[in-house]
Amino acid sequence: MQNRTRGKTNLLIAISVALVMLASVLLYIQYGRAKPVIKIGVLHSLTGTMAVSEAPLVDALRLAVEEANQSGGVNGRQVEMVVADCRSDAAYCAQQADKLIVQDGVQALFGCWTSDCRKAVKAVVERHHHLLFYPLQYEGLEQSPDIIYTGAAPNQQIIPMVLWALQHKGKRFYLIGSDYIFPRTAHLMAKDVLLAQGGQLLGERYVPLGASDMAAVAREIAALHPDFVLNTLNGDSNLHFFRALHEAGINAEKTPVFSTSVAEVGLAAMAADLTAGHYAAWNYFQSLDNAENKAFVGRFKQRFGRDRVLDDPMEASYIGVKLWVNTVRSLDTTNLAPVKTVLAQQTLPAPEGIVAVDHETGHLWKAVFIGKARPDGQFDIVWKSAQSVHPAPFPFYRSRAEWLAVQQTLPGVRR
Amino acid sequence: MSQDFAMIGNSLTWRFVLWFIVVTLLPLALFGFLSLRQSEAALQNEIQNRLTRLADKKTLEIKTYLFEREQNARLLARGKLVEEAMSGLSVAYSRHEPGSAEYNRAAKQFDSYFKVYIDGESLFYDVFLITPQGEIIYSQQHEPDFGTNLLNGPYRDSLLAQVFRESRMTLESSISDFAFYAPSSTPAAFVSAPIIRDGALKGVLAFQLNTERIYQVAKDSIGLGLTGETALAKLIDSEQAIFVAPLDSDPQAAFRRKINLKTAAIPMRNALLGERGTGMGVDYRGKRVVAAWRYLPELQWGMVVKMDADEVFAPLYQQRKILLEALLALVLFAGAVAFYFGRRLVVPLKSFASTADEIAKGDLDKRVDETRADEIGALGRAFNRMTGNLQALYRTLEDRVEERTRELNVSNEQLQEEIIEREHIEAALRDGQVELQKNQNLLNEAQRLGHLGSWELNLVSGELRWSDEIYRIFELDPVRFSPSYENFLNVIHPDDRDKVNQAYTQSLEDRQPYDIVHRLRLADGRIKWVREHCASEFDVSGKPLRSVGAVQDITEQKLAEEALRIAAATFETHEAIMITDANANIIRVNQAFQHITGYSSEEVLGKNPRILNSGRQDKTFYATMWQQLLNDGSWTGEMWDRRKDGRVYPKWLTITAVKNEQGKTTEYVAIFSDITARKEAEEEIHNLAFYDALTNLPNRRLLLDRFRLALSMSARSHHYGAVLFLDMDKFKTLNDTLGHDYGDLMLIEVAKRIQSCVREVDTVARLGGDEFVVLLEEVDAGAEEASQKVALIAEKVRAALAVPYRLKDYEHHSSPSIGVSLYRGNVESVDILLKHADLAMYQAKESGRNAVRFFDPAMQHAVETHAALEADLRRAVPGQQLRLYYQIQVDSDHRPLGAEALVRWMHPKRGMVSPAQFISIAEESSLILDIGHWVLETACRQLALWGKRGQTRDLVLAVNVSAQQFSKHDFVENIATVIRAHQINPACLKLELTESVVLADVADIVAKMHALKALGIKLSMDDFGTGYSSLSYLKQLPLDQLKIDQSFVRDIATDTNDAVMVQTIIDMAKNFRLNVIAEGVETEAQLDFLKRNGCMAYQGYLFGKPVPIEEFEALLGGL
Repeated sequence: MQNRTRGKTNLLIAISVALVMLASVLLYIQYGRAKPVIKIGVLHSLTGTMAVSEAPLVDALRLAVEEANQSGGVNGRQVEMVVADCRSDAAYCAQQADKLIVQDGVQALFGCWTSDCRKAVKAVVERHHHLLFYPLQYEGLEQSPDIIYTGAAPNQQIIPMVLWALQHKGKRFYLIGSDYIFPRTAHLMAKDVLLAQGGQLLGERYVPLGASDMAAVAREIAALHPDFVLNTLNGDSNLHFFRALHEAGINAEKTPVFSTSVAEVGLAAMAADLTAGHYAAWNYFQSLDNAENKAFVGRFKQRFGRDRVLDDPMEASYIGVKLWVNTVRSLDTTNLAPVKTVLAQQTLPAPEGIVAVDHETGHLWKAVFIGKARPDGQFDIVWKSAQSVHPAPFPFYRSRAEWLAVQQTLPGVRR
Repeated sequence: MSQDFAMIGNSLTWRFVLWFIVVTLLPLALFGFLSLRQSEAALQNEIQNRLTRLADKKTLEIKTYLFEREQNARLLARGKLVEEAMSGLSVAYSRHEPGSAEYNRAAKQFDSYFKVYIDGESLFYDVFLITPQGEIIYSQQHEPDFGTNLLNGPYRDSLLAQVFRESRMTLESSISDFAFYAPSSTPAAFVSAPIIRDGALKGVLAFQLNTERIYQVAKDSIGLGLTGETALAKLIDSEQAIFVAPLDSDPQAAFRRKINLKTAAIPMRNALLGERGTGMGVDYRGKRVVAAWRYLPELQWGMVVKMDADEVFAPLYQQRKILLEALLALVLFAGAVAFYFGRRLVVPLKSFASTADEIAKGDLDKRVDETRADEIGALGRAFNRMTGNLQALYRTLEDRVEERTRELNVSNEQLQEEIIEREHIEAALRDGQVELQKNQNLLNEAQRLGHLGSWELNLVSGELRWSDEIYRIFELDPVRFSPSYENFLNVIHPDDRDKVNQAYTQSLEDRQPYDIVHRLRLADGRIKWVREHCASEFDVSGKPLRSVGAVQDITEQKLAEEALRIAAATFETHEAIMITDANANIIRVNQAFQHITGYSSEEVLGKNPRILNSGRQDKTFYATMWQQLLNDGSWTGEMWDRRKDGRVYPKWLTITAVKNEQGKTTEYVAIFSDITARKEAEEEIHNLAFYDALTNLPNRRLLLDRFRLALSMSARSHHYGAVLFLDMDKFKTLNDTLGHDYGDLMLIEVAKRIQSCVREVDTVARLGGDEFVVLLEEVDAGAEEASQKVALIAEKVRAALAVPYRLKDYEHHSSPSIGVSLYRGNVESVDILLKHADLAMYQAKESGRNAVRFFDPAMQHAVETHAALEADLRRAVPGQQLRLYYQIQVDSDHRPLGAEALVRWMHPKRGMVSPAQFISIAEESSLILDIGHWVLETACRQLALWGKRGQTRDLVLAVNVSAQQFSKHDFVENIATVIRAHQINPACLKLELTESVVLADVADIVAKMHALKALGIKLSMDDFGTGYSSLSYLKQLPLDQLKIDQSFVRDIATDTNDAVMVQTIIDMAKNFRLNVIAEGVETEAQLDFLKRNGCMAYQGYLFGKPVPIEEFEALLGGL
């Protein structure tokens, strides 16, 4: 009886030893080999005049990277962000891009805000046949095999917005913008479509970037009382502009302002009563009511604080990383040529809705939203495009060559 | 008891069976399971990869199809014919009933054009032309939608209306989803593109697409196996989707069959969420499938390409079945084996037990079975030992003896083998010696052939031996030279001696062989290259015993290498080199060739150079080239070739035929360089000849060319044109103060601004400096309208150029002066017209700058008169046309003091010309010098005459001196000469200087005035008070008199300002002790005032006009 018990014990020991050995061999095969990290480069200004705008984008990128790493990394490798401070200087930013590519060996670059910065970095990225994700809405008239534009092309923001304004507010319009390439080009396109629809241009004014004296413009608007104002001011000027409008007694109900570059993060820095009732068009608003977005806002606030807000450029940064991660995961390689091939076919359920990379232009198919600012700094959606809008960086009614030639003749555009 | 045995037997047997199964079958089953898992993963992976590829291919096919259709629409909308159709048909449509005969006639010419898009390539189902107001004015198919309005007609909610509105609003092309379209009674999608001319919307072009192509893509199930299919669906609400293409399993599914996304169809749900992925899932039928899912943003469709899991994993199921069967068989077999062995163990035990039982019962002869080798046998033997002990010992002893004998035998055999082996070795040694001698001879021969000599140095005895070949290599006579290290060193090139020595010494120290290449210098000075190896042997203490070495003559090899290196370096020149064999197949190209042509050497090797052909040269060209190549063996010339990327470029090419000894061509060598840059430079030179390098505007030469052309055009069309001549005010100041950099920037900006103001057909040219010319052609037929239009344009240019200039960090304010001249036909020459414009520009400048002036014939007249006067004036002095008039100067008692000499011109045709008219002309040229001289001369002659008579001896004659005259360096000398010549009293000559005279170089003027004073001449300041002379300045001048200008005198009695002024001048003159004379005294009131204030000398009409000498002398006589 005792013998048989001992035999059984031996048997059990033998089986368990065999199982443990087998399991450890399997575990070694599965996880034993430590894999190197994959690096991606981030090019945003953390100091200088652009820092206020660009720093939140780095947080959005960080959230996307951390989420990728928590869900197992990319092909078993962790993703590491190498952040370069562009110091609000386009030329310096281009140098940093070169450094990230050559010295750090990053697999993709995410960054830039201003068109100047993008154009400087574009040259570097194209020289290395590398890959850049650019998250801002911009003036269009550009296309590159090495850039994915995750922000809006003109026909995905400005043009639908001004057409909506024309239909709902009236035909007499007034243009105000900062004096550089984006507003000049945006106004040109706005005038093209508005004048073709019978619109009437009352005035067109440009002020230098960072200008703070808006009293004259506000007086002119008050005198002309246009049906609506298209505002392409960038940076701090917006605060001064809305304050001047307020002081000139201009009322959002009678003279609504449609802005291209005022989003939630910017509103958070202004007094809310200045902008309430005015409009903005974006492809993303924090207030969008869908499950994907609610989860996204929740995750972001949990990571960075309850009082933080999200806006379009941040979301565009976030989906840039998502697109890249999905691509590399589906490929099992970081080799840039196949990555770019597959990137051109990516689609993604994003917080803003479904986005898809347009394989012709490297821009995204995006839905367009027009929002009316609320006193709490968020937007109520007043209009939404019926479907995702095809990105057209070069609007159809002029040929590419004509566009580039016309753009060259715009004052304020660097030649 | 026996029951116990049975129990042992059974338990042992079953234990065996159990262990067998555990030890062999459990791992087997485990590995089988793992390998199945592995192949399942691999299989799934492979299928997923295949589905991914297929899904990508299909999405791309659909995308490309849609993109191309959109592109078709865009291209067509830009075309000229659509523009014509739009305007032609909208007229026909609005005047006649759509579908009427008149309309059809108008539409007919366009039908065939649009038909191509429908019949020819089956690209589209229908074509529409829609007015901006939404009227469908053209349709190829003439379905019920034709002639309806898309904004308020019956089909205003259709997809066609949707794309029309989209294109109309955004001016972009647009594409719709597929949906049921009532007029065609079939699903359709639409593509639209706006028709835009000059920035205005003329209409919208739309195409209707049918589902044919999309269905083809969906239907194509190549690579999808038996159960594979492609499903396309779109959302109808948040929980349901509808198929939009037929399914393999259900051909009627399109636009009919719905899918519930809540419960099934996970892949389609993922696709419609916008995901792109692949994996396992349950499809709309509830079946497990392997699928790839995609989202199509253009149509907002989901696409799922899938295969049933059953089919995919069928091989795996097969494998699993086989594995299970094998396992079962193994279980049975192992059980049987275990049972058999168990039985083998148990049966003898049972028999042992029964025998022991019998012995125990008394049968001592019994023996148990002890044949087995195992424990049971041992037990049996121990049992039997009790009776057979002695016999067992004896048997053991015998066993030992036998073993020793066997060992001895083995030793004997080994000894025998050793002896035989030794005999073999001895025989081999003998053979070896013979062989050695033979080898020695062979070695010698081999050394000679291989230019390889050997040497050996016994380091103990110091004996050195050289092989015959060494002597040959060193070219030393074996009779005269014995082997020695010294002789060896002597033959080594002096520069290499240390190296060789070093290598050998080092080799002995390191106990390592060495191998070096060095030179020899032979007795006759020739250089040879040798390679030397050497190895040494050492004893146990490390002392060297013997060195053995070899020397190889590698001179030829070295020379060959050198030649090769030079050849290779020459080959890699900056000119492209291509070598072909005699049949013109490329056999080698250099780096420059690859650089210039863009082809890598792998791409062209073996090919005919024809691949570079651009097609710009014809066959004759090549035939001539080959002819010359065959005749002369070379060809040189210019040729256009095509790069790999398709760009064509010019090259300068030389081809040379390489011939062998027999004179047969073996290769062709082509050397060429890219002369694009040179060609561009030639073009550049051409441009320089016609364009201004700074602004890129046409230069004077091109302008004149175009102007001439414009004139002859105008002569044909009878239209007016205009030429604008402009320059920038204060440009020179900008250049002088900020430098030419800024000036250049400004000119570039000016050029741009002018260009932005005029039409493209107009010519803007830069003549040089800051002078620009704008040529406006074909302005208008009417003179009035033309001049108004030109005035508008000129004003626009002026306004544009007057805006401040931002030059780097500096803001510059400037403005243009623009002169305009109109022309019609070639009545006037280019030169004249330009001159007119130039003239008008000066007019504009004179009017205060920043102005536009038209050329005015009156102005022209004035200029011509001016020019004519100047020409006449030149003849005035030699022609004795000048006269000197005299105006009397008196004191307060009306006594004559003298006169002022004034020049008058008696023009032969015009009569008397006043000095106001001709003095300024004379001052512009140097004529004033001649006139001045004549006046002085005449005045002095008169003074000389006066000096001879008592009545007139004291009269003082005042002569005006111009600034030009005074500034002449020999002015004082001239005066002295004249005085001497006429022998006059210098005190009677008074020179009147104007303020402009004294405003120049102060030191020089003061010096000259002192010199004149020294001569005794009087000096008077003319027009005092009109200039800017300061008091301090006045103090320095050695003047005798101030003359109060007539402009002050005129209003002296009425204007208090003038009165104060004159008073001040008089007071001042008194302070400086100067006397004062007032000119222009015409009334008694003026005279009174002057007298009262202390001015005691006068000149004016009150006393006498300027008159000829005869009248003057009569006047004197009358006093």
